[in-house]
Amino acid sequence: MRRYILNRLFQFIPLLIGMTFISFLIIQISPGDYFTQLKMNPEISPETIENMRKLFGLDKPVIIQYFYWLKNIFSFNLGVSFSYHVPVSFLIKVRLKNTIALSIFSIFLTWIISIPLGIYGAIKDKKIQERILSFFAYIGISLPGFFIAMLVIFFISKTAILPLGGTTSIFYENASNFEKFIDYLKHLLVPGLILTLSGIGSLYRLMKNNFLETLNSPYIFTAYAKGIPTYKIYFKHALRNAINPMITIFGYELSGILSGAGLVEIITGWPGMGRLVLEGVLSFDLYLVMASLLIGGILLILGNLLADILLALTDPRVRLR
Amino acid sequence: MKKILQRLKKRNYISFISLWIIVFLYFLAIMADFIAPYPYNKQFRDYPLCPPTKIHFFDHNKKFHLRPFVYEIKLVNPALNQYEIIEKICPIYFFVKGEKRKILGLFPSTRYLFGTKQGKIFLFGTDMHGRDIFSRVLYGARISLSIGVIGVSLSFFLGFLIGGISGYFGGRIDNILMRLVEIFMMFPAFYLMLALRAVFPLNLSSFQIYLLIVVILSLIGWAGLARIIRGMVLSIKEEEYILAAKALGISTFKIIFKHIIPNTFSYSITAITLSIPGYILGESTLSLLGLGIQEPFPSWGNMLSVCIGNLRILSNAPWMLIPGFFIFLTIICFNFLGDGLRDILDPKNW
Amino acid sequence: MEKLLSVKKIVVGNQQVKILRDISFEVKEKEIVSIVGESGCGKSMTLRTIIKLLPKNLEILSGEIYFDRIEIRKYNEMEKIRGKEIGMVFQEPSSYLNPLFTIGNQIEESIKENISKKEKKEKIVNILKEIGLSPNVYYQYPHQLSGGMQQRAMIAMSLINKPKLLLADEPTTALDVTTAFGIINLLKNLISKYGLSIIFVTHDISLARYISDKIIVMYAGMILEKGNADLVYNKPLHPYTQKLITCLPEKYKKGEKIRTIEGEVPSFKNLPIGCPFSPRCEYRQKLCEEKIPEEIEVDNRIVRCIRYGNFMEN
Repeated sequence: MRRYILNRLFQFIPLLIGMTFISFLIIQISPGDYFTQLKMNPEISPETIENMRKLFGLDKPVIIQYFYWLKNIFSFNLGVSFSYHVPVSFLIKVRLKNTIALSIFSIFLTWIISIPLGIYGAIKDKKIQERILSFFAYIGISLPGFFIAMLVIFFISKTAILPLGGTTSIFYENASNFEKFIDYLKHLLVPGLILTLSGIGSLYRLMKNNFLETLNSPYIFTAYAKGIPTYKIYFKHALRNAINPMITIFGYELSGILSGAGLVEIITGWPGMGRLVLEGVLSFDLYLVMASLLIGGILLILGNLLADILLALTDPRVRLR
Repeated sequence: MKKILQRLKKRNYISFISLWIIVFLYFLAIMADFIAPYPYNKQFRDYPLCPPTKIHFFDHNKKFHLRPFVYEIKLVNPALNQYEIIEKICPIYFFVKGEKRKILGLFPSTRYLFGTKQGKIFLFGTDMHGRDIFSRVLYGARISLSIGVIGVSLSFFLGFLIGGISGYFGGRIDNILMRLVEIFMMFPAFYLMLALRAVFPLNLSSFQIYLLIVVILSLIGWAGLARIIRGMVLSIKEEEYILAAKALGISTFKIIFKHIIPNTFSYSITAITLSIPGYILGESTLSLLGLGIQEPFPSWGNMLSVCIGNLRILSNAPWMLIPGFFIFLTIICFNFLGDGLRDILDPKNW
Repeated sequence: MEKLLSVKKIVVGNQQVKILRDISFEVKEKEIVSIVGESGCGKSMTLRTIIKLLPKNLEILSGEIYFDRIEIRKYNEMEKIRGKEIGMVFQEPSSYLNPLFTIGNQIEESIKENISKKEKKEKIVNILKEIGLSPNVYYQYPHQLSGGMQQRAMIAMSLINKPKLLLADEPTTALDVTTAFGIINLLKNLISKYGLSIIFVTHDISLARYISDKIIVMYAGMILEKGNADLVYNKPLHPYTQKLITCLPEKYKKGEKIRTIEGEVPSFKNLPIGCPFSPRCEYRQKLCEEKIPEEIEVDNRIVRCIRYGNFMEN
């Protein structure tokens, strides 16, 4: 088990290095560098710029520059955002928390809803209940996340039942910790629900297919032949086997969630990483964009690692080799 | 081809219908110059945020008219965008005369499919500049629908090249290329898309932006395809007839082009169909965020961008969401078609 | 000896196809009956019919199955019989064992008695020892065992409730020869120890003779010949059985040309109207292609062939 996880960790290292290199490359190919914009700012003296140039090694060849940049990255010095005039790491810290909260909230909700639905769909395969569910799943898969967001916002604007935009209400400052938490959760609800709605369809379909496939496997026949009651076959033998492939694709799914979250954040006004990147792009704040890209990639790597660990816990074939 | 269509019709009727809807949408896009009643950039300043025009057969005296008509409307409260019907009947004519336009950019014409001689006809309403949304949806379809096909072709080319090399030669090349693929897949697509966009200036010409979007989307999309094609090539490579061909001393080039590529064909068709929605989504996302196709040119994505953070427009003029329905319709049709094709092209189902 | 199982004129299929036609046979206590035939002839379906676990698109259309005075076709609490009275082992233990649970766990859940967890474990460890496995297997997962060990674990699982009948669906086909013989000998020993009857499905007629008291020869969903194992093997009556036996490798002299049965097994969608073997039979007569022969008793066994009697009236 420990060896397996260490092995996986080891495999992620070249990935991580590759990711930093590609992020760096993207900055390199963009016309001008970070300082061309700073130079135009009269408040910053040429000496400061020259010092920063040295700090980032911009007077050296590209490969050396990369290592300078890498060194800075590992000390969590992601550069300075020139539109906000604060370190990028500071900006990201605030926003990352919100994005992670949003992602975890909606992953949790998506799984809680689509797994039982998937099992139900598989048990009722080819009956009217399954046809209806699958039809809605199809619509859910085909509806763009941003369009779901707009429809939900349209609905909310008509009813005004949930708060929209930001993470907190006006009374937040004077509230108790518990009230603060509830308030945060309330604001999380709209973007979270939108993200969940756009994710249920595909996860339902996956779970349904997995469960169906599992029900047709020989060991399920064995269980029937042993005289085990049907409900126990479903919830002991089939469920465990059907969930394993879902864990395997968790990393892949996380990529979709992070992307979806970025867009939903922008549309609903949830201050997360997605909005930060957009702001970065619009103000040509390259260091901000690259740092966000890198952080997004690292989140995915961590998600994949988590999936590997979970898989090892649930599947003895992975754990004991 | 005909056989495929017949089998599709027999086995999976929904995907057969989807195919025809897709064909119809592309037809609308190509013929936009002729079908759209107004040019995409024509602003009717007197009609901002006008709701969709209703088409009538019965007038207010309950009298039946064989020729459908619309009522003329007038803006009565500019602050609240309230319109009032003036009881003046404006019949709808086919092949009505209008401003001079070039159909397909080639044939000048002054007649369009339909329109009114007096009054205005806004089938899907207007935006805040008083532009006809129906006409803009048709013109927008040109960008949104073409970008999917062009983007997928480019990524498929890249995917085939890299996946094919990786799968066929294996060993070290395979190892390196697959690590590269993994790196690209480890970035969340949305972040990568924005980061690649950030490299280029915001204000480019619309043609440059179109090309840029295609390149960005292909750079994101090739990795997944390469991985799939590599897997496919790996499994075909192990088939006996390839081993036989190798044993007979047939050249690598011939093996790849005569034996391996044709065998990936049926799978590729399905994969292409199922990945087009991703490109359409990518374009709409970029345009929606103001990073893609720029005004006054319409794309389904940028037509929706006013809906972001603008609750007043969203709740007062929900017809502004219509381009979103078109995105949805296109995507669901491609999904149905892809599933249907997978169903019939799978040799197991014959 | 008393009859344990009797299958009477069973027909299995659906609107389009009949997978099993007119299947009748009996199994007595402590008896081993082998069902022999090529793959796809309905051997496994016969076993599945007995415990009423047919694929969704198939059903028992007519006939009766009596097990221990219970009419199985009408019986609705099969869960009480499966695993308790009738055990089953399969061809590929690796795919018929659930990969995510330990052997101990999988055996434990099939125990029908109401006893404590500790007693259950004791029981399992005992049977594991008896079957020739180390008690440690209790804690192991299927992928940690070899094919032979997996099959032994499977047998332990099916015998834990001391059933009266064991259905063995080609239990040795996926194993190598030495391991297979270990399993065969184990099964033979278990009969006397447990007082158990076995229906042994195989495509290997010489193995069938070695292990069983009675042989049933099936072809295209029909029984063509059944009777005492030695009798059927040494003096086969039906042309199909004769062919099967002359084609066996041990019947060749050195350097002799390989014999095969000409033609192919008919598909269930396109069965001959008459005797299913008629298209490949060298004694074929015109009548063979028109009517299905009836089962008749000749020389202490049952044969379905025109050469020995009359045709069925249909």
